Amino acid sequence: MSKFQPLIAYVAVDQEYELLPFKFEPLGNEEVVLSNMVGEFAILGRNKLESLINHTLAASDPDYGMLRAKHLLREKGERVPLELLALKARTKLANKANFTNLHLFVVSLRCDHSCQYCQVSRQSEDKAKFDMTEETAEKALDIVFRSPNPAIKIEFQGGEPLLNWALIKYVVEKAEVRNKIEQRNLQFVITTTLSLATDEMLEYCRDHGIVLSSSLDGPEDLHNKNRPRPGRDSYARFVDGLKRARNIIGYDAVSALMTTSPASMVRVRDIIDEYVKLGFSSIFLRHLSPYGFALKTKSYQAYNVDRWLEFFKEGLAYILELNKAGTSFVEQYSAILLTKMLTVRDPGFVDISSPCGAGISAVVFNYDGDVYASDESRMLHEMGDSTFRIGNVYENTYEEIFTNESLLSALEDSFTLSSPGCADCAIEPWCGSDPVFHHGMTGDMLGRKPESEFCKRQMGIAKYLLTLMKTDPEAKKIFMDWVGPC
Amino acid sequence: MRLDLDQSVYSLEAVQKAAYRFIDRLTILISQSEGIITCDIDLIVGCDALLDPVLADFKRELLDQQLRVQIKKETTDVRNLILSYAFSRSGLQG
Repeated sequence: MSKFQPLIAYVAVDQEYELLPFKFEPLGNEEVVLSNMVGEFAILGRNKLESLINHTLAASDPDYGMLRAKHLLREKGERVPLELLALKARTKLANKANFTNLHLFVVSLRCDHSCQYCQVSRQSEDKAKFDMTEETAEKALDIVFRSPNPAIKIEFQGGEPLLNWALIKYVVEKAEVRNKIEQRNLQFVITTTLSLATDEMLEYCRDHGIVLSSSLDGPEDLHNKNRPRPGRDSYARFVDGLKRARNIIGYDAVSALMTTSPASMVRVRDIIDEYVKLGFSSIFLRHLSPYGFALKTKSYQAYNVDRWLEFFKEGLAYILELNKAGTSFVEQYSAILLTKMLTVRDPGFVDISSPCGAGISAVVFNYDGDVYASDESRMLHEMGDSTFRIGNVYENTYEEIFTNESLLSALEDSFTLSSPGCADCAIEPWCGSDPVFHHGMTGDMLGRKPESEFCKRQMGIAKYLLTLMKTDPEAKKIFMDWVGPC
Repeated sequence: MRLDLDQSVYSLEAVQKAAYRFIDRLTILISQSEGIITCDIDLIVGCDALLDPVLADFKRELLDQQLRVQIKKETTDVRNLILSYAFSRSGLQG
């Protein structure tokens, strides 16, 4: 007698099934994408969607098993799908309980560059009154270490933060002393153009485990056009600083971010080639935010979301070409979305979280002691709108800052499961909301999603990624490599 | 343009949600009486699209929204059960 049941025992038998919670969205005219409450997804023809919902999908249908495996349906009496969905839901949200991780210190508003699109209203270099003082930094550190998060990241921003180098050292050393007792996973980042980085500074970074987040907008002509400074040598200084920083701190200790200016629109391949040439393994194809000088100088209006999506798609297609030809290179924004789509991990990216990451993932201490819910909130303040100024280190306690009414309203309005338009959207499990953007553009933190550029951009990218995964198996394999294990 | 919808086929919730999705293109006034939901539809001022194709899209959206209502109706209890189970041992509940 065989130890196994006969084959007939394993043949799918039509039986009653129940739908598990899912949402759907059209993907072209004939297909829809379905996503469940933890972001697992399937693409189906419209007819099959109707069969599924009307409970007429046969167990022998080739998609039946896939829908069951992805927890979009369960057979009557099955409990395991519910337990697995609960476990995944809890995993996805686990980081929320840790509260604030990223603490940005705006140590100086001064800058040696005068970029047209700069999102922070900068001041000339000689105005020391726009520097953070030691006293302000001490008070900010008191708040930083009130965060319950076992991992604390302090990021120095500007202006050009290296112009207040003495304060950076002060904060690093004070935080290290506090951390001997606190025992957190403490990390430091300096956001810098590298134009003023000396070897002495870089050696200090090496000795204190500080990594650098720098800026590269593309080839020399484009970078210098975007980032004017005395001597018109921003690119040369960047390349020199990059080389020295890699030698002194370590090759992977320097990352780069780009800003998409109007002049970048027709240069996406050149920009990517520049990143590859300089030895970077990834790029973040960012859009311009409607804040600060970007708005004042009309840079923001120079391209709309449709034009930006074209730029993004052309860039991503080129990056896939490079990967297929053997050069491993990642587009980071796609990687963030794909991680949400293909794994149970949440990358915790502030701009696409639900509720949004303002305050609860990241918080900003301005040079003058003001506390903002996000970097964009600070930029909005520089434009005269202080809605998201949630306190001041001299005037408010930790409790007062993090229960500030504006912050709580922003969090409530950014909870996508209860936002009109988002609650029923299949992209929602991979998306988020940006109350600061919507408030800045429309005066309403929630915003009307059909009119929202944020929504159009997110929807455009997500649908493009889904289409690529469906039509190009090689692209899907590359995407799987980008997100790593489940 | 007026669109009369049979309330035994389309729920008010589905009609409202479909109308919201077209808020960037259409102004839709919704009213109901005697089993009929009526949509009074105009293109918004400044919209350069033609009404007919937008209206065709709106009708497709009505069907989608009605299906969404159907899914929600069937899965609300199990969704609540899954979320309750997910946080039952998290220490977050009051």
